[in-house]
Formats: sequence, structure tokens, C-alpha cells
Amino acid sequence: MEAYLGIDVGSVTTKLAVLDEYDKLITNLYLLTEGKPIEMVQQGLTQIKQQLPEDVNICGVATTGSARYLAGVIVGADLVKNEITSHAVATLQYLPEVQTIIEIGGQDSKIIIVRDGVVTDFGMNTVCAAGTGSFLDHQALRLNVSIEEFSRRALASDTPVRIAGRCTVFAESDMIHKQQMGHRTEDILYGLCQALVRNYFNNVGLGKDIKPPVVFQGGVAFNQAIVKALQEELNAEVIVPPHHEIMGAIGAALLVHEEILNSDNGSKFKGFGVSEIKYYTSSFECEACPNLCEIAQLSLNGRVLARWGGRCDRWERGSSS
Amino acid sequence: MIRIGIPRALLYYQYYPMWKTFFEELGAEVVVSPPTTQVMLASGSSRVVADTCLPVKVFLGHILALVGKCDYIFVPAIRSVESKVYNCSKFLGLPDLTRAVIPESPPILDIDIDINKGKRNLYQAIYQLGRHLTWYPLRVRRASQAAWQAHLNYHQLMSSRNLTPPQVIERISGTAEAEANSSYLISAQATIAVIGHPYLLYDEHVNHRLIHRLEQAHNRVLTPEMLSTEELQSAIARLVGRAYWTYEEEVVGAGAHYLQSGADGVIGIIAFGCGPDSVMMDVVRQQASRLKATPFMSLTLEEHTAEAGIVTRLEAFLDMIHRRKRSQVKTCV
Repeated sequence: MEAYLGIDVGSVTTKLAVLDEYDKLITNLYLLTEGKPIEMVQQGLTQIKQQLPEDVNICGVATTGSARYLAGVIVGADLVKNEITSHAVATLQYLPEVQTIIEIGGQDSKIIIVRDGVVTDFGMNTVCAAGTGSFLDHQALRLNVSIEEFSRRALASDTPVRIAGRCTVFAESDMIHKQQMGHRTEDILYGLCQALVRNYFNNVGLGKDIKPPVVFQGGVAFNQAIVKALQEELNAEVIVPPHHEIMGAIGAALLVHEEILNSDNGSKFKGFGVSEIKYYTSSFECEACPNLCEIAQLSLNGRVLARWGGRCDRWERGSSS
Repeated sequence: MIRIGIPRALLYYQYYPMWKTFFEELGAEVVVSPPTTQVMLASGSSRVVADTCLPVKVFLGHILALVGKCDYIFVPAIRSVESKVYNCSKFLGLPDLTRAVIPESPPILDIDIDINKGKRNLYQAIYQLGRHLTWYPLRVRRASQAAWQAHLNYHQLMSSRNLTPPQVIERISGTAEAEANSSYLISAQATIAVIGHPYLLYDEHVNHRLIHRLEQAHNRVLTPEMLSTEELQSAIARLVGRAYWTYEEEVVGAGAHYLQSGADGVIGIIAFGCGPDSVMMDVVRQQASRLKATPFMSLTLEEHTAEAGIVTRLEAFLDMIHRRKRSQVKTCV
């Protein structure tokens, strides 16, 4: 059976999705990146191989997410794609008439505006993480509420408190203040959800033409309280796709399928065996000019596979030879 | 021979051929600071408070790079180059700021340019500047005429042959390959207009080689300098009536023009901490969302911009344009 693999290596989680030749999801995987993108990609490959039927033949691999270039070299990707395009393509396959895609991940959040099946505008959070998953994670930890429990307790709120969501630092002092005044944890938690949603629309969604149908995806979409807060803010139904947390990986797989169909070359996929290989990463400061770029390199058995981080082509060129 | 330093920053890209001609006609040697590096940016920003805008920090880095390499440094205060249109306060105070924060700098040659004060005032200012190099008013006059001619030629070359300021400056200095590299144009997938001030568009360190990246991805790149003054002014007139800021043409004028014709997508570049830009680019953004015809994206450049942020946005923007073009082709078929 022909299949296509999409790998989305984000800052917090690593996602893998395998689609068959009819673009139907065969299996998927959701792992925590834990700051070790290489190991997680390797571990992900090992695990997903066990989940796949024997006769599956991987005909194309694509990587996406913030570690897409690194992951691309490790697995031998046929396509390395940015996460905005990947998310949009996956959502369009799920709901062709979608007009607005909201994606909130671990370290960044995006909005994608679609008209007639084509992306017409997008936005990403610019400077801070106040509108993202790590903001919730951090605050849940402070209130000693597990992130699983978060959603359930926030939904139980009947009089949410108003929390300044502009900045995590202000939000935190606001929360402590409300807590010390005796507000219920439930109300503080839901107030936090509303703050995140407000911040998202003031920051990422600023000036965007938001129209229904609205699809909400990314890891934060697990949190039903955020879904509710979004619906209240937009005054519209917010659709959460069944595989919302792996949409980036699905999109990457769809894109590589399209790419392979349009090309005459076979896949560059290095096989599931790459999970056994010991890759070595290191970095150095380039002294060729006063820019002093920090160059990171990935090597295997003393041979450099790829380098990143330069402001010029000096080291990038070296890696291909 | 007297050596006059010119920082490769801020208004360099608009006026360098003019300044160079003026000083050389008066027998001086012109020394230009090297392209921006991380060390220059860091040294410039170490002299001012953190809130200072990025382009001024870069500028001061260039001044520091010229210390010890010349006898004077030329820092004009350009207040206004058009009737009742004013420049950002950072430009007005540039000579004073430079003297205050870089005391070790060689003497600063400054000149106050303010068209609102009349022609006589302008000529006097030019003579005063020329006095540093000659006592003969006639030589100053000839030098300023030659300089003005060089300036007109410079802008004419850019708009008539679709060249960028660095390309024309290289030609004038005789270091360039004769023609602009056009080999990528044949395979160009899309035409992207990049708008903003020249000191952001052509400083490759500050913008992370934005134009280079666009060309590498097989796009034809258009910039504000490739439009004529008439095209820019009529675009401004259509959108906002009349300009408020000096150098509004390269943002609002070019933006309004390219949103309506000639480009598949428009990218606006602004510097973090720039007041006028934050207003002007928003005017362009609003126009883009009114027209809904040409995709628009603005990128904010900061001192610590991680390359990844720029690369991801650029990739997504180009994908959006390419996929859009492809779907339009499909519909037509």
C-alpha cells in the first residue's frame, strides 16, 4: 500500500501522520518534543512503524514546524514546508468551505484567512507568547492544576474574573491578586481563557477579516474552555476537527503526495532505519567576518550533513558538497 | 586631501551620488563605511537608550566605523525637502545626536535643509557647507550643480532600468557587473513588490537578505525606486490626498501603486520603534484589505530578529501567492 508521511516538529510537541494514496489517515502519533527534536523524530519513526500495517510503502515524506529543516535532513524529506501552508492545506481538505483557521500551538499562534479555497491572508504572533499554549501551561502550573483538569474546571465557572492578558507578567500578578481576594480557582481559570482569546484577537487577529466557518486547531484546541471562550468572543460556531492536534503533519503529508505525483523522482526517504543512527550536533562561531554567526551543524560519523545559522551562504554551500 | 566620511546608513541610499559628487568636485576624498555588520549594530546601540529606533542605532554604528578613517563626517539634518512636509524628528536632530553620543567622532559637517525657508536659505546652507573645502563661492556653485545633476541621473537610472540603489551606486563606482542580473527573470514565478525606506530594503544585515531570498525563490522583485516620482505622487494623491511625512512616497506611494498594479504581492518592511512607519504602513494595510486584490504582508525588523521568524513568514507568503496563481490558472482552463 502506498503511503505518505508528514512530520510536524514543533517547539513543544512532535506530530506524525501517515496518509494512504487516497489521502485517508492511516495512523498518527503525538509526542512531547522535550527540547530534543532529533531524538523525538527518531523515536516517532520507530513507534509509527509499529503502528503501520506490514505492506505499507512510504512513497514520500515532508516535514514542517519550527524544526522542519533539521527534521528534513534526518529523515530525508522530499518536501520541507512552512507550518502556515501545511495547516491551511489540511484544513481545506477537511472543510473545503472554511474561511478562517485559528491555530494555537505551544510557542506560536496563527490565523489564516481563506476565501474560495485559497489562502488570502495570514498572521502569526509577533513578539510574545502571551496568546499561546505555553502561557496556559505556565499559569496552570502556578495554580497547581494539571492541564487536563484545567479545561474541566474552567468550564465549571459561572462568574469568570477579568484578567489582563496583554502580557504573561501582568496576567500573573493579576491572577495572584484575584486569588488573594478569594475568587474561585474555576473563575480565575476561565478568566485566563478569556484573556488568552482576547489577546489572540488583539495581536494575531488584528485587522483580519474573520468570517465563518471558523476552524480551530492545534494542541490548545484540546481545551474545551478555550473553544467556549472563542465562540463567545466571535459569536459564531467554532469547529474543532477530529485530528486538530496533528493538522500540520496531515497537511505536510498531503503536500508531499501532490509533490510526488507531479515529479518523476522517487522519494528520498531514508527509511525507518534512521532511528538507529546516532546523529551528532555541535555549534561554532564563524570568524570569517565581524557578524560572528553561530553556526549549528548536524553530523554523522564525522561527516557534516547540514549547517544552519549563517547570515550568508558560506556554510550552507559547504554542506551540500 | 581632505577625507570626508559618509555613513552607509539612513539617507545614504537616497543621496549618496549627490553627496559624493559635491565633495569630490570640491577636491575632497569620500570614504564610505562598510556594509552593516553585527559588531557595528551592537556598537551603535550601546551608545543610546534601548528605546531608540533600529535605523538610528545602525547609523551610529556606521559613524563609529568611520572614526579614525576620515577628517570629517558628513551628517546632514534634512528637515524638509518639500513644502510643508516634514521629516521625522530623528532626522532633524541627527548631527546633534551624533555629536552628543559619539564625542570621539571627527568634526561633523552638517547642513540644515529646509525647503520651507526658501531658496535663498538653501543656497546659503550649501555655501556654508562648501566653505569647509573652498573659499570660492563659484566653485561651490559649480559643485552643487554637478551634484544635483548626479542626483537626477541616479534616480532616472533606477526608475528607467528597474535597478536598486546599491546596483546603481556600484555602477557609478565602477565596481558592478554592467547589467543587472536578469537571468532569474526568465524563470520568475511571481512579481513581489517590497516597499519601505531604502535604509531597510538595502541593508542586508538588517533585513536578513530579504531581496536575495525572494530572488532565490524565483521571484522578480520590485522596489519603490523603480517607480517615477509622478507615479509615486499620484498614488499618494489617490490614497491620502497629500503626504504628511518626508519619504512617505516610498511607503504609502509605492504601496498604493503596487497594490493596484504590477505586483502579485506586496511586502512592507518597517523598523521596530519607528513612529511614522507604524502609521504609514497601516495606511497601506488598510488599503490592501479594502482592495482585496493583491496580498499584503508587513514584516517588522528588530535588533534581535530571529531569522526563522522572517523565513517562515516569507515562505508562507510566497506559497500563498503561488498557490493562488495556480488556482486562478486552473479556473481559467
